[in-house]
Amino acid sequence: MRRPLRRLLLVPVLLYTAFSAGPYVWTAMMSLRTTDEIYRSHYGLPIPAHWDKYARAWNEFGYATYFRNSTIVSVTSVVLVTLLGAMAGFAFGRRRYHFPLREPLFLLIFLSVMFPPQIMLLALFQILIQYRLFNSLTGLVLVYTVTELPLTIYLLRAFFAQIPTELEEAARIDGCNDWTIFWRVMFPMALPAVATTVILNFIYFWNEFLYAVVFITQQKIRTLPLAIQFLVSDQYQDVGMLATGLMIATLPVLVLYLFLSEWFVKGMTAGAIKG
Amino acid sequence: MLVTFYNSVHTLRMDLGMVTEYVGLQHFREILTSDDVFWKAARNSLVWGVVAPLVDLPLALTLALLLHARVPLARVFRTVWFTPVLMSYPVVGVIWLWVYNYDWGLANLALRALGLGDYAQAWLASPATALPALILVTTWMFAGFNMVVLLAALAAIPAEYLEAAVVDGAAGWRRVLHIVIPLLRPTLVNLAILDFIGKMKQFALVWVMTRGGPMWGTETVATYVVKRAFEWKTLDLGYPSAIAVIWFSIIFGLSVGLMRTLQRREVLEF
Repeated sequence: MRRPLRRLLLVPVLLYTAFSAGPYVWTAMMSLRTTDEIYRSHYGLPIPAHWDKYARAWNEFGYATYFRNSTIVSVTSVVLVTLLGAMAGFAFGRRRYHFPLREPLFLLIFLSVMFPPQIMLLALFQILIQYRLFNSLTGLVLVYTVTELPLTIYLLRAFFAQIPTELEEAARIDGCNDWTIFWRVMFPMALPAVATTVILNFIYFWNEFLYAVVFITQQKIRTLPLAIQFLVSDQYQDVGMLATGLMIATLPVLVLYLFLSEWFVKGMTAGAIKG
Repeated sequence: MLVTFYNSVHTLRMDLGMVTEYVGLQHFREILTSDDVFWKAARNSLVWGVVAPLVDLPLALTLALLLHARVPLARVFRTVWFTPVLMSYPVVGVIWLWVYNYDWGLANLALRALGLGDYAQAWLASPATALPALILVTTWMFAGFNMVVLLAALAAIPAEYLEAAVVDGAAGWRRVLHIVIPLLRPTLVNLAILDFIGKMKQFALVWVMTRGGPMWGTETVATYVVKRAFEWKTLDLGYPSAIAVIWFSIIFGLSVGLMRTLQRREVLEF
């Protein structure tokens, strides 16, 4: 295309970039300013930058606890979902494994990918109460694992299904059994696919709100999204500190995203089926 | 899932140690005939589910075409636009509470800067503007995401088609309409359905920003279910379960219907 025309295209592109990045950049600037400074001028530059606010939010406003809770829940759930999902995906994906009800089971899993969370919510609530897992991080981990397992199985099955059978046969001749074939041959080959599901699930768990808000009522086991919701109503006036908290909740993901953006895009769009 | 269906035909008293009592279709009758809040919530959710894809997708497609036309620094823009979808709803909710702040929010600031100060208002305080304001927030979150998916689909179109379409300027626009959009149709349909389902389930953003207010103006079915189950003193899980069942059936039916009418030949595949 001719040059001047291409320059012209930059106008809407820059406008949208301002719309897209503006609110977050503004929040980032406020996170480095005290609330007093913010109320004097809401759009000042963070000079001088109050980096110590991050330490204060971390130590005095409980973000250390919330961050720890979120990390525990997200990491444990990701590990569980990945291991179970990979093994199940392998079993469903390889034609060789005939187990009873294989096809109906997979159909059921596929259908449950589409269940909206609300329909599971109240039933899960009841089940958690019954097993005394309500209001515990363990309960939340189990709920997260169970709700994301179908999608993970679905995505990984597709990958395992396309690995050529010859590889499996060669490994068998070399003396591998099913277990070692999976861990030594198949799992390493599936790592790119596994990585996309890890990213997809991690972001989902890190940001999940609906289950957390219903299943967790104690302050000390709140996850970050939950904590933010409560801090908003309790300390609405303290805009500066809230902004710092928002940054603490988002920065880990965004920094990873900067370095691994291709993987993130792949992971998130793989989950597009879930919406 | 099955438990929910079971609950929907019972009352379930949380205060009486989860005693269940069979009530048949009574909940369903009550919801459909005399529950005004349910109908308001259903209307809001439906508006959200229909309007959001109609706004998100044309915007995403325009952005994707812009980047596809080899704008300089396209990768940087793509990275920035995709970012909002990585944040949690509470984070997004708080940021946008500030954006919509009457005195110092970005929204009113922008209007005043453009000399449209008369239009500056407390966006979330009036039932007329609150829902559109929330819809704009989800657009902010998801337009970039949809754009990335469309960009990947655009890249898969054989280059000759697009070159032919773009190179000859003004007439090219019409070709984009007639060549590119039909080729992207399966992707667009999938994204539209996902967007629709996502908005019909919307809970978190509303919960953080408006709690369904003002005057039920942003109540969605999902927030209403949670309110009925855990906030109202009815202490009955049966009634909200019945709402969930109704809503699930509606989402499911409409999605399948949408898929059938929009998709025709193609199958939903990823």
